[in-house]
Amino acid sequence: METFSYPFSAVVGQEEMKLALVLNAVEPRIGGVLIRGEKGTAKSTAVRALRGLLPDIKVVAGCVCSCDPDDNSRLCPECAEMIVSGRRPGSEYRRVPIVNLPLNVTEEMVAGGLDLEVALRKGRRCFQAGLLAAANRGILYIDEVNLLDDHIVDIILDAASSGVNAVEIEGLSIRHPSRFILAGTMNPEEGDLRPQLLDRFGLCVEVVGEMDVERRVELMEMRERYDTDPWEFVSLFLREERDVSAHIIRARHAIREVAFPAYLGGLVSELCLQNNVAGHRADIVIKYAATALAAFECRAEVTAGDIRRVAGMALLHRRRDALPPPPESDNPERKENDTDDKKDNGGREEDNPGNQPENSNMDEKDEPDNMAEEFCAGLPETEGPADTPEAGEPSEEVFEPGSTFKVQRFKQEKDRLLRCGSGRRSRTRTAQKTGRYVKSILSNRYPDIAVDATIRAAAPYQGQRKKQDGMAVSIRKDDIRRKVREKRIGNFLLFLVDASGSMGVRARMTATKGAILSLLMDAYQKRDRVAMVTFRRKEAVVNLPPTSSVELAVRHLREMPVGGRTPLTDGLVKGFKLLKVHFLKEPSARPIAIIITDGRANVSTGSGIAPQDEAIVTAEKMAYEERIKFVVVDTEEPGIMKLGFAARLAAALGAEYFRTEDLKAGDLVDIVRRRL
Amino acid sequence: MERNTVYPFSAIVGQDRMKLALILNIINPRISGVLIRGEKGTAKSTAVRALADVLPMIEVVSGCPFQLSPGDEQVACSDCSNRECSERIIAGRPVEVIRRKVRVVELPVGATEDRVVGTMDLEHALKKGEKRFEPGILAAAHRGILYLDEIDLLDDHVVDVLLDSAAMGINTVEREGVSFIHPASFTLVGTMNPEEGELRPQLLDRFGLCVGIEGIRSSPERVDVMERRIAFEENPGGFCLRWEDESGKTAGRIGAAIGLYPKVKVNRNKFFSIARRCVEAGVDGHRADIITLKTARALAAWNGRCEVLDEDVEIAVELALPHRMRRQPFEEIGAPGKAARAGV
Repeated sequence: METFSYPFSAVVGQEEMKLALVLNAVEPRIGGVLIRGEKGTAKSTAVRALRGLLPDIKVVAGCVCSCDPDDNSRLCPECAEMIVSGRRPGSEYRRVPIVNLPLNVTEEMVAGGLDLEVALRKGRRCFQAGLLAAANRGILYIDEVNLLDDHIVDIILDAASSGVNAVEIEGLSIRHPSRFILAGTMNPEEGDLRPQLLDRFGLCVEVVGEMDVERRVELMEMRERYDTDPWEFVSLFLREERDVSAHIIRARHAIREVAFPAYLGGLVSELCLQNNVAGHRADIVIKYAATALAAFECRAEVTAGDIRRVAGMALLHRRRDALPPPPESDNPERKENDTDDKKDNGGREEDNPGNQPENSNMDEKDEPDNMAEEFCAGLPETEGPADTPEAGEPSEEVFEPGSTFKVQRFKQEKDRLLRCGSGRRSRTRTAQKTGRYVKSILSNRYPDIAVDATIRAAAPYQGQRKKQDGMAVSIRKDDIRRKVREKRIGNFLLFLVDASGSMGVRARMTATKGAILSLLMDAYQKRDRVAMVTFRRKEAVVNLPPTSSVELAVRHLREMPVGGRTPLTDGLVKGFKLLKVHFLKEPSARPIAIIITDGRANVSTGSGIAPQDEAIVTAEKMAYEERIKFVVVDTEEPGIMKLGFAARLAAALGAEYFRTEDLKAGDLVDIVRRRL
Repeated sequence: MERNTVYPFSAIVGQDRMKLALILNIINPRISGVLIRGEKGTAKSTAVRALADVLPMIEVVSGCPFQLSPGDEQVACSDCSNRECSERIIAGRPVEVIRRKVRVVELPVGATEDRVVGTMDLEHALKKGEKRFEPGILAAAHRGILYLDEIDLLDDHVVDVLLDSAAMGINTVEREGVSFIHPASFTLVGTMNPEEGELRPQLLDRFGLCVGIEGIRSSPERVDVMERRIAFEENPGGFCLRWEDESGKTAGRIGAAIGLYPKVKVNRNKFFSIARRCVEAGVDGHRADIITLKTARALAAWNGRCEVLDEDVEIAVELALPHRMRRQPFEEIGAPGKAARAGV
């Protein structure tokens, strides 16, 4: 639909994002741009506006793939056939295609599939091009790219890496060119991207809102004027748009003449090495981008300055440290000091905007927020281990609610959380008729028929089959396809937390809460369901019945008091009962019970057995329920006096066993993830 | 449901903030929606459904599944199922136009993605062997109000799709063998119960305004609520009749405000005060500024003024900012988050 969009030149600020887009327009080989940033920062607006700047392209008349008539090496089958048969294809000029990939897209629409109508009418198999064909020589734009389904991502990755889309469907084998600039926007708060896809984007920029009041006002005024009278507004910027556009076209021609001095090659590879990037794409992208920048700015030679300006964008999402962190988000000053960024990873903390609280010196109540914040910001640096010792900041009174943990320690853990989390949500095929329709299979049970696929299967035979009363399509039993649906399921995590006095010793509870919080963060992104049972004093309490509100869980966690004796058995029993009830509702669930305790029990349920033994016996019984995965986190402090109760408990449960120390390294999180 | 049996908008006791937010959205749909957060039984749904009572009239091509107005770009027409009408339009001949009230379309909790965005017309495919697009709820909601009750209970992927359309004003369908694009700009009105858990920040941001409501505490008013409800249930028709005048007045005032809105001037210093407030609140991005400005203008129009006053800005800030304060997933809305801290 030809809606007119907000003009590119009218986007206030966000210079780096605009530069990245322009560079891509000048040199498509850069390979696209990923725009990461908070909500409402003109991400989508800018990408859509880019179209207005791009010159029309010459294409073979009527070709769906927008084939270039002057380039015989990359033609779609139809155009190739035309050339082979000696016909001279007509040509026409077309606007650069910007293909918007909606989130609701299904597989065959991306890659292309059988043309239903032709098949039905003529009984002939014929290929209907998908979005990848339409995006050839243009821009494939994915809004909220991090929310896109994994299997769609795979198709796109495949095409992006080879420049060719190969389709094998129902006896058709088609290959057509699909070279496009990948443009994506995402909000890192909603989860991160798979590193593989991340790498596909040539450049990556972070955007943040303008903090300057003047700029904000300017922005508001612009927007208001646009909303009041879009036509007038657009025509007002027509000249500027044309200027930029002319600049781009000129740069496209000039780029061939721009020299790349050999000595700069060394600088590029040094930068890449320093940042420990994977593979060589970064080097290549930097070179292309720097050349494009020089061309855009009408210079005949690339300078070290050019490289510095683009290197940040090329390295941001590729940089790896000892523990590869995801790209950071808080970096408004990036434009000014790319160099520092690249060369001095440690200097990142200073770049944080002032309103981002530093890790230290926060009063305790703020700390969880602080951590949450950094977590969501897609936290950058792995701090040296030097910081870890002070991590266990003297804990508050154990009976006090909200005893917290130090941020620093969980940084690494968080890193992992996010990065591995690129496969973010656990998916499952679902039997119900809910969930997203992802593909279809042959099936003889038909509760959920995939109509399109069924017709498609029947289509080629329509010529031979006899038409039944008035129906255009004759369908037989073996045509019927069933929908395969996928649903993002949240997992069910049960936290069994020992809140007895023995847990209150120094940093133990702070560490424990920190661990739980980390898991809850993860649960939040995955939209898991959680429940919490704590046991202290005489009995165990279900603090939090199963809920999908992770917020509630966090609130409870913060307010959780610690102290008293340890009714371990009761805790186990209550937790088990809760899970049993859950099974009634969802027999196919595979919940994870995370038991966080030192294993020391001193209150029995009145069975007459010693509390410690009672717990073990109970645990052994519980272990029979195979659907539950148990994880025991031993919070006992390492030392000479090791009692090892929790280890015994774990053995009885058949659980995976961790000590808090392991947990610090993020292993618990990994365990849970493996299960997810 | 018949129009007559809807509880009248003006008969709702109290909850002025919510009513105001809804009205402002009618005055300028670009405020882009309201999120109503509140306990059970606080007239959330009643108010939204009652809106139908006071909504303005629009011109719609008769029988158009996409609710297009006669002057609209006729993008969806060439593939429209309403053959007769689309042929007329493509041939440039006049079509029948009806005037009707803006519609409130409700999204059922169990709605599937197909139903929301639209899908292939099965019957047509089987009978005629042609592909045709069968419009979904988004098409029905174009130029109207899309009401999401209990938004936190909706499937995540449905919500993602909805928001995508809401943000762009266009519904792009690429599924099950159909490619289709049609306009879908609607005012999103959602209700939720915060006890059930918060929404994702991304989702929150898409709602222009946010109001929190709670049960009325004063007993005379509670009695009012009861009495009116009982009167309504006993004799819906009569009850509505009694309130017709009142509703008519509100509708008239809304109509006047819509007319006045383009004339509302905003002094430049108001821009600054809005921007400053947004920076202070530490909101993400710029949507807050833009929405606040529009809200303030709508407020001025609603009050029959041609100029935005400080009080308009004040109220607009209260409506547009609370849910946008940079808050982390686990902070409560309106809780003194980072914003407050930054001020220290």
